[in-house]
Amino acid sequence: GGDEKAGGESSDETITLRAATGLSAQHGWWSDTMVPWMEKVEELTDGQVQFETYTGGELVSVPDEGDAVLNGTVDIALVLPIYQPDQFPMAEVTMLPLAHSDTLIGSNAWKALLNSDVELKDGQTYQEMMFTDFKVFPVSTTQEYSISTTGKEFDSVSDVKGTSLRTPSRIHEVYSDNVGINSVTMPAVEMYDALSRGSFEGSYYSIADWSGYGFQDLFRYTLTGINFGHFNSFIGMSQQKWEDMPENVQEAMEQANEEVFKPGAEEWINRSEELIEQNKEDGGKFVEFSSLDQEVQEVFTTGIEDTWMNYANMLEEQGLPGNKLIKLWRDLIVEEGGDVPDGLKNIE
Amino acid sequence: MRSALKIYRVFEWIKLIGIWISGISLFGMMMFIVVDVVLRNVLSDSINGGFEFVQNYFMPLAVFPALAYVYSSGVLPRMDLVLDKFSVPIKRILIFIMVLLEIFILGLIVQFTWEYAVSGLEREMSFPAAGSLYPLYPLFFLIPLSFALIIVENLFILFRNIIERKPSFLFKEK
Amino acid sequence: MDNVTIIIIILAMVILLLLTGLYIHSVLFATGIIGLILLEGFSFLPGLLGNEPFDRVASYTLTTIPLFVLMAQFILQSGIVKDLFYIVHKVAKGKNSVLGILTISIGGLLGAVSGSGTATSASLGQVAIPELRKHRYSSRLAGAIAAAGGSLSGIIPPSIILILYGVATETPVGQLFIGALIPGVLVMIVFIAIMLIYYRMEQKETYEEADKDSLIQQSDKVTFIRLFVVSLAASIIVLIIFVGIYAGIFTPTEAGAVGAFVGFLAALCLGKVNFEFLKVSLVETLKLTGMVMLIMIGAQIFGRFVSLSMLPRQLIAMLDPIMGMPALVLIVISLVLFVMFMFIEGAAVILMSIPVLLPIITELQIDLLWFGVFVGVICTIGLITPPVGLSVYAVAGVSGIKSDAIFRVGMAFAIAALVIVCGTMIAFPEIATFLPDSMSQ
Ligand code: NA
Ligand code: NA
Repeated sequence: GGDEKAGGESSDETITLRAATGLSAQHGWWSDTMVPWMEKVEELTDGQVQFETYTGGELVSVPDEGDAVLNGTVDIALVLPIYQPDQFPMAEVTMLPLAHSDTLIGSNAWKALLNSDVELKDGQTYQEMMFTDFKVFPVSTTQEYSISTTGKEFDSVSDVKGTSLRTPSRIHEVYSDNVGINSVTMPAVEMYDALSRGSFEGSYYSIADWSGYGFQDLFRYTLTGINFGHFNSFIGMSQQKWEDMPENVQEAMEQANEEVFKPGAEEWINRSEELIEQNKEDGGKFVEFSSLDQEVQEVFTTGIEDTWMNYANMLEEQGLPGNKLIKLWRDLIVEEGGDVPDGLKNIE
Repeated sequence: MRSALKIYRVFEWIKLIGIWISGISLFGMMMFIVVDVVLRNVLSDSINGGFEFVQNYFMPLAVFPALAYVYSSGVLPRMDLVLDKFSVPIKRILIFIMVLLEIFILGLIVQFTWEYAVSGLEREMSFPAAGSLYPLYPLFFLIPLSFALIIVENLFILFRNIIERKPSFLFKEK
Repeated sequence: MDNVTIIIIILAMVILLLLTGLYIHSVLFATGIIGLILLEGFSFLPGLLGNEPFDRVASYTLTTIPLFVLMAQFILQSGIVKDLFYIVHKVAKGKNSVLGILTISIGGLLGAVSGSGTATSASLGQVAIPELRKHRYSSRLAGAIAAAGGSLSGIIPPSIILILYGVATETPVGQLFIGALIPGVLVMIVFIAIMLIYYRMEQKETYEEADKDSLIQQSDKVTFIRLFVVSLAASIIVLIIFVGIYAGIFTPTEAGAVGAFVGFLAALCLGKVNFEFLKVSLVETLKLTGMVMLIMIGAQIFGRFVSLSMLPRQLIAMLDPIMGMPALVLIVISLVLFVMFMFIEGAAVILMSIPVLLPIITELQIDLLWFGVFVGVICTIGLITPPVGLSVYAVAGVSGIKSDAIFRVGMAFAIAALVIVCGTMIAFPEIATFLPDSMSQ
């Protein structure tokens, strides 16, 4: 941001902050977390803090938000670290598949991970290792990812093997590899076209996000009760910018974050409920994982366990505390009421 | 002018190497996508990370190395309606100003993209595809390099307009 | 300096630099960068602009630009289209006006396989302009026909603009595509009508210059077998692309690569492939691609300036007093968008204006799907209006016809389509909503 905008010591000067996202203005993270957060901050500071907003990549594109915050292009942004596994290799941990969780469990566990004081390596916590340059305001994760297809059903193991699904992240590619699903990579904007014409059979996706690309019209079979991870995000500011904020503003920002966190998560639940309702009316099927053939369940579950170990090993090879991280994540998920396959409960 | 032409011939070689890198990348990109489509339809399995490779490797390689050649080919559009109506001396001054402005702006672009490339190198920026990471930062250096070549072209154009009587936006008119 | 002063300075600079003949991409680079320095100071620039050229080019969707152009080159270099135009000319019994109609219709047809107006315009420019010129079309009209015909890809589905709009507003892309069909065809009809008027006017002026001998000589060279082979090859190429896309064998983006490959195979079968063939095809494609990419990077930088200057928002704020009259607001919005699309590349306009327009549209209770199609039409028209009309530059680039000349005719095409199609869409919104509504029931 501009030089005239630094707040410094005096607490009555107006502070204008430039806020941005590469996501569309209708994306739940923006409309139901970031916008309420900014409104709350403006309200709590009696208008001392003002925001200038840029959405849909008009100033910063996905996934450059983190860089933009650190190099001063913008003051504050929704950061999506999973899109940059080269810079934030440990951010993908929330994408690990689970036996059970929901938006609130995923969100609370993500927040707990960011605030965790467990030392993972060289006395550093998770946040110190990954996001040390940022002031991080945790926001809700997405709803859990599901597998949805345009009609293909998983009645036997041979149905699973060779099914072609779009994989939105590196973790999903590893998982697909483990269970014998063929992964298709493709930009999200191309997906509608390719799916509607049968170029491939389905995707890992969170139901609440369907409407963004009109997938509610296409998906006819969705597996529920098994979870393919949560996409995460946070409202990020550079540590330096944060320290420039007057104390009352810092307090207002923290308080606003507390207040918007849960309603933001609930918005995903509301959205998904509406979409499920609509999809059922249009003839969509939602099939509970536990009702699947026993062997099919085993394939999916073994895949989950293998993926966790693959991810941990991948991090260890980079000299990162992969094993410690997955155990921490497992414990946080279980603490918040989620569950992992039995094979993961005993890893030490 | 004669020695300038000699040096320019070397420069033309460099530009030709550039356009051949781009040409091969373009043909390669076509084949790569076709193979991907065939595999998906025949084996219902596409090349893992196919679209990431196309967008991060093939596209920059098809576009940037060719830029200097493209620049000097006379294909780039401008509105020449008004300029053509001026007398030769005025036209010459205008072209001088234009070329200097062009060099200044291109210089800034080279600087910014170079800084980005260096920071990419420091952070070893990579992209995820097919479950692993592939380096991205080497490609960042293509950009300052290709814009720097356009600056060189502009220096030749500047030189030509000092020496020759007939003003032109191209070093060698077709 | 306040924003309004800076905006005025920069817009004046744009016009001045354009008129003095600076390259278009350089105008955008220069004014964008100077504008950003005035707004934010110098230190702000490296972080904002350093990654711009790479990010813009490293796009899967944009592969359609080089690959559809490459397809066109392969087809052109193997002589297929030249012979096809001859056949049509023969069937039309020498009525030259049919060739113009054919070119625009082919543009519409290609629009159904290509998402990018720029790529299609370049292809049309390469194959159609030499034929149109032979049949007594002036160079500026031939150029405008190719540019307008090609720009139809912007609205006839699949359309990159509609995809971007769908993503930005969370409107189902499939429904947008269906909704765009009738307005897209309407734009095509308007283009054809204007083309015919121009053609008639020109024939009266230039009747004397016609060179009939060369036409007859050329036609003698084409044998019956050759015609058969060529028609077969052309039908197979078109068929593969259409069937491939609509049967889900490949996506519209991948169709670029497949089309180019099939074009290459056709040339191979016709015995045309040699080193020279490859060299010419590739180099011509790269020239055009480089040109479009440079302008897109420039448009992106200029777009950053426009965005930070709050120009769109200030324009929209002025709408407040007329919010009670939706039709009037829409007319104003379409004029504003028309001007924005004149100066800025389409995708950039969508991305920067939707966040500002969406609240107004919602407040006026205007159908989002209808509005998306509406914006798509205006954007398509923007491809042929100066000073930033990518379709026209693409055509100028491949044909060597001066862009100013094409723009003068293109502007007539654009204004007619704006008044007639947008007017019809405001008066009868059903033409965009009727099809999607009836399909979803
Ligand atoms: Na199209
Ligand atoms: Na335009």
